[in-house]
Amino acid sequence: MKKEETVKFFVEQARNNFSLVEENLHKIIEEVKETQKKELNYFETFDEEFVLKQLEELKEKSKSKDFVKGKLFGVPVSVKDAICVKGLESKAGSKILEGYVPLFDATVIESVKREGAIILGKTTQDEFGFGTFSTNTEKIPLNPFDNSRSCGGSSGGGSGFAAYTKNYHLSIGESTGGSIACPASFCGVNGFTPTYGLVSRYGLIDYANSLDKIGSIARNFEDSALLLEVISGNDVKDSTNLGHKFSVGEEPMKRIGVIKELIDSSDPEVKKIIQDKIVELKKFFVVEEVSLPLNFKYALSVYYIIATCEASTNLAKLCGLRYGVQGSVEGKHFDDYFSEIRSEEFSAESKRRIILGTFARMSGYRDAYYLKAMRVRTKLINEFNSAFKKFDILISPTMPVVSPRFDEIEKLTPLQNYSMDLCTIPVNLAGLPHVNINAGFSRGLPVGLMAIAPHLKEQRLYSFAKVVE
Amino acid sequence: MSETNLDKVMIGLEIHAYLDTKSKLFCSCSTSDETAEPNSLCCNICLGHPGSKPVLNEKAVELAVKIGLALNCTINKDFFFSRKTYFYPDMSMNYQITQYEVPVAEKGFVILSSGKKVRIKRAHIEWDPAALVHPNGMGKSQYVLIDYNRSGFPLVEIVTQPDLESPREAREFLNLLENILGYLNVLKPNTTMKSDCNISIHGGNRAEIKNVSGFAAAEKALTYELARQKKEVDSGKIIEQHTRAFNADTGVTTMLRKKETEDDYGYIFDPDLVKVSLEEQYISKIKKELPELPEAKSKRYQVEYKLPEFDAVVLCGNFGLTKLFEEMVKQSADSIISARLLTRELLAVLNHDSLQLGDVKVSAGALVELVDLIKIGKVSDKNAKQSIINYVSGDKTMPVGYLKKNDLLISSDINLEEIVSKVVAENQKAVADYKSGNEKSLNFLAGLVMRQTKGTAAPQKVQEMLRQKLS
Repeated sequence: MKKEETVKFFVEQARNNFSLVEENLHKIIEEVKETQKKELNYFETFDEEFVLKQLEELKEKSKSKDFVKGKLFGVPVSVKDAICVKGLESKAGSKILEGYVPLFDATVIESVKREGAIILGKTTQDEFGFGTFSTNTEKIPLNPFDNSRSCGGSSGGGSGFAAYTKNYHLSIGESTGGSIACPASFCGVNGFTPTYGLVSRYGLIDYANSLDKIGSIARNFEDSALLLEVISGNDVKDSTNLGHKFSVGEEPMKRIGVIKELIDSSDPEVKKIIQDKIVELKKFFVVEEVSLPLNFKYALSVYYIIATCEASTNLAKLCGLRYGVQGSVEGKHFDDYFSEIRSEEFSAESKRRIILGTFARMSGYRDAYYLKAMRVRTKLINEFNSAFKKFDILISPTMPVVSPRFDEIEKLTPLQNYSMDLCTIPVNLAGLPHVNINAGFSRGLPVGLMAIAPHLKEQRLYSFAKVVE
Repeated sequence: MSETNLDKVMIGLEIHAYLDTKSKLFCSCSTSDETAEPNSLCCNICLGHPGSKPVLNEKAVELAVKIGLALNCTINKDFFFSRKTYFYPDMSMNYQITQYEVPVAEKGFVILSSGKKVRIKRAHIEWDPAALVHPNGMGKSQYVLIDYNRSGFPLVEIVTQPDLESPREAREFLNLLENILGYLNVLKPNTTMKSDCNISIHGGNRAEIKNVSGFAAAEKALTYELARQKKEVDSGKIIEQHTRAFNADTGVTTMLRKKETEDDYGYIFDPDLVKVSLEEQYISKIKKELPELPEAKSKRYQVEYKLPEFDAVVLCGNFGLTKLFEEMVKQSADSIISARLLTRELLAVLNHDSLQLGDVKVSAGALVELVDLIKIGKVSDKNAKQSIINYVSGDKTMPVGYLKKNDLLISSDINLEEIVSKVVAENQKAVADYKSGNEKSLNFLAGLVMRQTKGTAAPQKVQEMLRQKLS
């Protein structure tokens, strides 16, 4: 990575030369239009006027001597659809939220705006984050390396565009069970998922609140770390916020654990590239295998129970009454009206997850499923904590496969589909910070390496990425 | 089922009361403007807009801890909030944030005046749904309006064990509870407590009467339900567990739903909120600052103000009266006469007119003037009573003003001695009857004396003088 390619470099130049901001933004607007024309579907909502208005405002403000030109001065930032932007339709890729224009900015949006960013638009995703391939939505984003393949999910649009653009750009993503790392891996970009609670969730349309983490997607780790620095920090509006701030900086480390089960269960082509990378890593680090049998065995089940239980309550509010889609209520009992709207507007996958989640928390079952899953989750976190006594960071493939073709995805059963998240789910369940770094290409398709650090040790990942990239 | 249970009436209550906080339970919207336009006091949080997140109002926790301590509960140092899911138009998120597994307080008790212990199962915090407005009355409207101003108000729900054995006792418990909460100063003013009333007889299944507003209504609903269940059982029917509604106008309970169709709330921990952990110090500080509660206050009054036990207990059974009493004593009114005036006369008028102390304007100063006059024998009990009735529900003239206006004060120039002598002299037959053992004749003579004094004399004093004269 060259220094000139980083957003940091761009901002330093742009602070003294506003025309660079204008030039970059206009070029990127052209790119967005180009992707729209090609139906690459990276943007759910893109409003040129909305973008240009911000440019004008920034230009106006920067004329004042007192104006502090922030860390993201003039940088276009695309935002996952699930994150609320005031005045811009925000619907988490769902039909039922069509027309929902938030009255407020998510805290992360306030944060990037404060640093001078320009909100570019809302990127496509699986409905509510329910998916691994961004296929569970109307506008399916196409992989820039091969348009017959998936961008990954659920932050697919953001990752796809991050890989597509040749200009300075950052993307805000969100991960519940791997929704940053997975698309970053398939699109060959850097995806930085922080410790749970490091970044405020205020303004995020929830998938599963105890798992949801807003993070960053960019072409390189310098950029994703910069964005993470800006959006992390204390927020009293989110009760689960840790009040901790990440600063771009290094933490030297040397002991790396390779998660054996995840290497073993990956496709040979993925395995090969990761193993080649490990050979390189051995020049800098002490690399050994580590086994996480409990996570390998239980994480997927625990995740799908907890995530669907939480999701099924989150989605309860969507009933066509206060915002989003509305139908005719004339002569209908409210129960029938709610059922009608929900039956029509939710996708099959949303319904599947609502039914799963509602079942697992029903009286008579919640002890056996929901409460047990909560207890097992603690054991799984402990297993990671034990591993971190021996290793500074852990690594594994991000995805067990390279991006599949859409026709292959169609053939997957729901269970096979859920199993694709095998590598990313344990870390997400444990709320551990992790980063996807491109490790190479197989058949021209990106293969991602995932590095995982203990809670709040994001700086280790930064140091590691610096060596690898 | 044991023999003893067969005739037993078992009543358990779930009482909802509004906590007196300035803002809502999970957002900063105001709770205090009752005249606000509908849907003007709400935000993205209490409207449940996607993306919004709740943040706990710590004041509500403090008030709930206070209540828990006053009800002799164990306070859980660590507790959670849960989501109780059901679909209803007044629920902005179609789930209610409440407490399930671990409430803020549990395992307490209160003691009724009979000495009976009523166990408190738990007290927990939850948020109130929005208000549904039926424009042409319930059941008649083709539609309802929703006012979210109330959405997110903090409630405490207090749940008893089924220890109450009659509708009357349930009401007594509710009065006691209200009194305790009044002492704590934790309730939102001008709000009514609502109860879900569970009742079963002969060890059978229980019926739950939902959402009964006020205490008289709770007694009425339970009385009706008790009679209904008895009739059912007498005619050989088995009562199934079910939920009923109560119509306050007709006094009748009706079937809402059977157990099989009860909602399954599918509780989960609310993952938007974190575990609340209270420090031992925090709890002990609240404990230390708890106001004196009825029992302790009544004991103190008996010692400090020499009140008879009965007067002290009655007085302390009404927090408003104790405040008035203390204010009067502070203005150096005679404590014994003050207590008697408040518990006998004032309370009698209030009860007669079904009024609460808060409904009427009663000034301590006005009562002190009256007490002073009673003390020096210038007002008869009867006239004192009349002046209070007029003060509370008549033309509201201050008691002493009323007495003066109607010439009901015993003027010092009336010579009671002279009137007594005159009456004795003029009624020799009655005197003779009395002397031969007819007590009633004394009352007759006393009546004549009272008439001559226009009722201003103290009856006891008159009787006493007559007895002396005739002995």
